[in-house]
Amino acid sequence: MSSTHITTGGYQHAHHYKSAGDEFEASKQGMWLFMVTEVLMFGGLFVAYTMFRAMYPEMFHEASKHLAVNLGLTNTIILITSSLTMVLAVIASQKGQKGRILLHLGLTFLLSCGFLVVKYFEYSGKIHHGILPGGLFTNTEITHPKAPLFFSLYYVMTGIHAFHVIVGMGLMVWLAVRTMRNEFSPAFYTPVELVGFYWHFVDMVWIFLFPLMYLVG
Amino acid sequence: MSDHNEKHQHEGQEHHHFILPERTAVAVGLALLVLTGVTVWVAGIDFGRLNFTIALLIAVVKASLVGLVFMGLKYDRKENGLIFVTSFLFLAIFIALTATDLLFRGDVYVKGPLVAASGKSQFKKPWISTTELVAKGKTLYEQQCVACHGAQGRGDGPAGAGLNPKPRNLTAAEGWKNGHKATGIFKTLTQGLNQMPVFSSLSTDDRWSLTQYVLSMGPAAEKDTAADFAALKIDPTKDDGGAGAGEESKSIPVEVAIDLLAVPEQKAQR
Repeated sequence: MSSTHITTGGYQHAHHYKSAGDEFEASKQGMWLFMVTEVLMFGGLFVAYTMFRAMYPEMFHEASKHLAVNLGLTNTIILITSSLTMVLAVIASQKGQKGRILLHLGLTFLLSCGFLVVKYFEYSGKIHHGILPGGLFTNTEITHPKAPLFFSLYYVMTGIHAFHVIVGMGLMVWLAVRTMRNEFSPAFYTPVELVGFYWHFVDMVWIFLFPLMYLVG
Repeated sequence: MSDHNEKHQHEGQEHHHFILPERTAVAVGLALLVLTGVTVWVAGIDFGRLNFTIALLIAVVKASLVGLVFMGLKYDRKENGLIFVTSFLFLAIFIALTATDLLFRGDVYVKGPLVAASGKSQFKKPWISTTELVAKGKTLYEQQCVACHGAQGRGDGPAGAGLNPKPRNLTAAEGWKNGHKATGIFKTLTQGLNQMPVFSSLSTDDRWSLTQYVLSMGPAAEKDTAADFAALKIDPTKDDGGAGAGEESKSIPVEVAIDLLAVPEQKAQR
């Protein structure tokens, strides 16, 4: 038995799987199923967005102008770059390069911090101008009576997204701790890859949120 | 035991997965950044309604790059890709079915030969008869009422023959349950009465026009009292055409809806 353990890099898969490969595939498929639930959760919000935009196109046009495109664009660049560093962390884990895993996880974490800082300035700017969701809306520059609806969608969609970013940062810390404990090897890097999936999904959601929120034509 | 070990060893070797070349990862990252630039650039150009489609299209391309390369769907087992793509299929169904309901609500009222049910009233005080109201009401009467109430309003239309009670003779002086006055007729049109269906599918203006035409067929109308107006939530001092007056809800009876939906050809001929 012990020789087997060595050939799989010291990793012993859970006993109910035939092999580490099976375990990896099962974990990955589980993650894909989770991604499906995420698509449908954000999906409900995108449906609400689509319907209200179809009902009040001129309101979306007016309200969207009050979002800061440069901040949204900055965050898009940050998030795409962080997706890239996350991929590089996964590649490093597949190759067993501990130092590079930590480097790229660290970069991803820093970029996520950057995303949240930009978000903080964005939100506080909006709140300062009385641009709040629903009944809390007190801004007088935006004249369309249904405008609070747009900002309700804005806060809920970007808010849930930002929550995902925070969760992702926690997962990165968790991965870094496990990396430092030498728990990952080319034979076992499932958590790194799956957190990578999660992070790319967060990126994917933002890829849609950015043009839909900030760039309403 | 040694067999078992060998099996493990063998599968341990199988556990070599595709490792994305770093160059590919960086190239895709750059492509995503370039496409982000394109998104912003394109948004600055006015393509009208196409802007939404273009923005979505670029987003789909970007998301596909992320999914195929960063998430490795391109190199993964096909079933994982199928699982993920299916979720978007269901999202599309979600959007489409919601759209067929939400975005087409009100079409039952609006389509057809009638004036749009929504929008501001053209009239100021439509409970006071004008020749314009009566003329408009006559046209509507010939479309909506003749079948039961008859061309002369005597309640002798062919569709009304089998009804019990019989359709109202609109030329009669007596027996008006809601009163032979503007508010009374309007109330009947809006809320229905016995076999008389609800006509709240018609716009408020249309119902007032019909009211004035119906009153013009019979003897002189009674005067509307303050209580009559109050019951319909109309302020008779305002010039708002009694918008939304007396309506219980925005719904229409099932049979009216079926009639409106099921026989578009007949409606077109009317």
